[in-house]
Amino acid sequence: MSATIRDLNISIGGRTIVGDVDMDIADGERVGLIGSSGSGKSMIAKAMMGLLPATARVGGSIEMGGRQVVDASDIDIADLRGRYVGMVFQNPAAALNPVMTVAQQVGLPLYLHYDLTSAERTERVGAMLAKVGLDEDVLPKYPHELSGGQQQRVGIATALVTSPHLIIADEPTTALDSITQRRIVDLLTSLVDGAGASMLFITHDFAVLHRATTRCYVLEHGGIVESGATADVLSSPQTGQARRLVEAARKLSLAAKETDHV
Amino acid sequence: MNGRIRTLRIVARSMWRRASGRYALVVMGLWLLVSAVSLVWTPYSLLATDGFDTWGSPSSSHLLGTDGVGADVLSWLMAGSRTNLVIAVLTVVVAAAFGLLLVAAMVSCNSAFSSASVVVVDALISIPTVLVALILSVPFGASAAVIVAACGFAYGLNLARILRPSALLAARSAYVESAIWSGASPIRVFFTHIMPNTLPVLSVQLSMSAGTSLLAEAGLTYLGVGVGSGVPSWGHSLTTSVRFISIYPLAVVWPGLVVTLVVIALNLFGDTLRDAIDPLTNPALREAA
Repeated sequence: MSATIRDLNISIGGRTIVGDVDMDIADGERVGLIGSSGSGKSMIAKAMMGLLPATARVGGSIEMGGRQVVDASDIDIADLRGRYVGMVFQNPAAALNPVMTVAQQVGLPLYLHYDLTSAERTERVGAMLAKVGLDEDVLPKYPHELSGGQQQRVGIATALVTSPHLIIADEPTTALDSITQRRIVDLLTSLVDGAGASMLFITHDFAVLHRATTRCYVLEHGGIVESGATADVLSSPQTGQARRLVEAARKLSLAAKETDHV
Repeated sequence: MNGRIRTLRIVARSMWRRASGRYALVVMGLWLLVSAVSLVWTPYSLLATDGFDTWGSPSSSHLLGTDGVGADVLSWLMAGSRTNLVIAVLTVVVAAAFGLLLVAAMVSCNSAFSSASVVVVDALISIPTVLVALILSVPFGASAAVIVAACGFAYGLNLARILRPSALLAARSAYVESAIWSGASPIRVFFTHIMPNTLPVLSVQLSMSAGTSLLAEAGLTYLGVGVGSGVPSWGHSLTTSVRFISIYPLAVVWPGLVVTLVVIALNLFGDTLRDAIDPLTNPALREAA
């Protein structure tokens, strides 16, 4: 699904969080949104789903698959959430309900958006778990019994189980170690490409971004300061913010390479 | 549905494994059994009195003795158990409905409403249950319904106050955000994502409410605003004998003992239920699920 954002402005309590943002995500494209903490990345993602806090004021336009999201009612965009747009969260340990089993968790979007019998649902949940590399024996398990990598695989399965047309991944690897990070990113990109879906990948880590996306936007203080092919931005960053992020990624990937040998 | 029955069986078994849980289950089972039996059979009719055998000591014909009008104490306690059961169950239902409604309003509305509601609830909590019951008894007369209404109101407020922090914690969690992103409606989010995560607090608080309702029944009946005269209840049995405690102490011991044992059972029930229903503290729930 394509998404077009024009002149997006978000302010909360008179303070501008996001200003004059233009972004495009084409069908089947993997686009990155990179910026340091507090730059407004997650706010843009929330605005795309109409899930900003009630106190936020939004201006501009967000078109998702040809539909206007800004000022739309909850009912108008209800099928965006979980049906056409899937969300992968930053901290999988916190994003999974501690008293729900994996089967219930992954089955929830199916339950909410499709009229399936519980046997059909279990079958589709099992098939989805196989795609993210988990065995059927995790179905009755609770989140705290899984490793961080397994938890994020469940998170990805939950986001993708309804075959959404757009995946929004909000720092999906930040809470994971570097080796697991790479596996999760590769899994996510291959699943998104396999389904022909688009992806918006939000991160502060250029090393991860390079692996996950082809094009990216650099966000600073709520505004886009640079955009272009991820490889180009990474090799020759034009602005100070992009340079700082690239520098940080180099140091981190160096550190990761050293630990790989240990 | 099958899974739910299996979960229930695991929870019951986990509770049974602990001595405190076993005590609670046995006492509550007996309570249910005696209530049911008392509907069709009691050793003596409640109206059977014997003027020549008042304040009788326990004997083979009257196992727990007789009271001031010569009625069988055991029969009255057995019949009273069903009144108290109905009061306890209805109090829990009313308190849960009222309390959860308040909590839902507190977590779903904006922060200004939420903070204002705390002040209002705090103010209402300070009204004693007895006072509420006394006020209600003016237009409605003394009845079990007054006890249920007063207790349900007071314990509902308490429940809301105690449940609010854990409900807020759940409401602001990433898993609730995730459920909303998946398209879950606010009502669904509250009942299937927020409430189950407050179950430890909820189960303890509600079972304590059931126990406290028994104490309230005894107290309110003593004050004359509880169950009507002639209606069997443990509070009624206590009330009729407590005036003679210095002369016939044994007559007070029996109803007092029953109330004490059942209240302890209810409190232990909540305690062991909390440990048994939480997948974090009960490994059996994880293995067998």
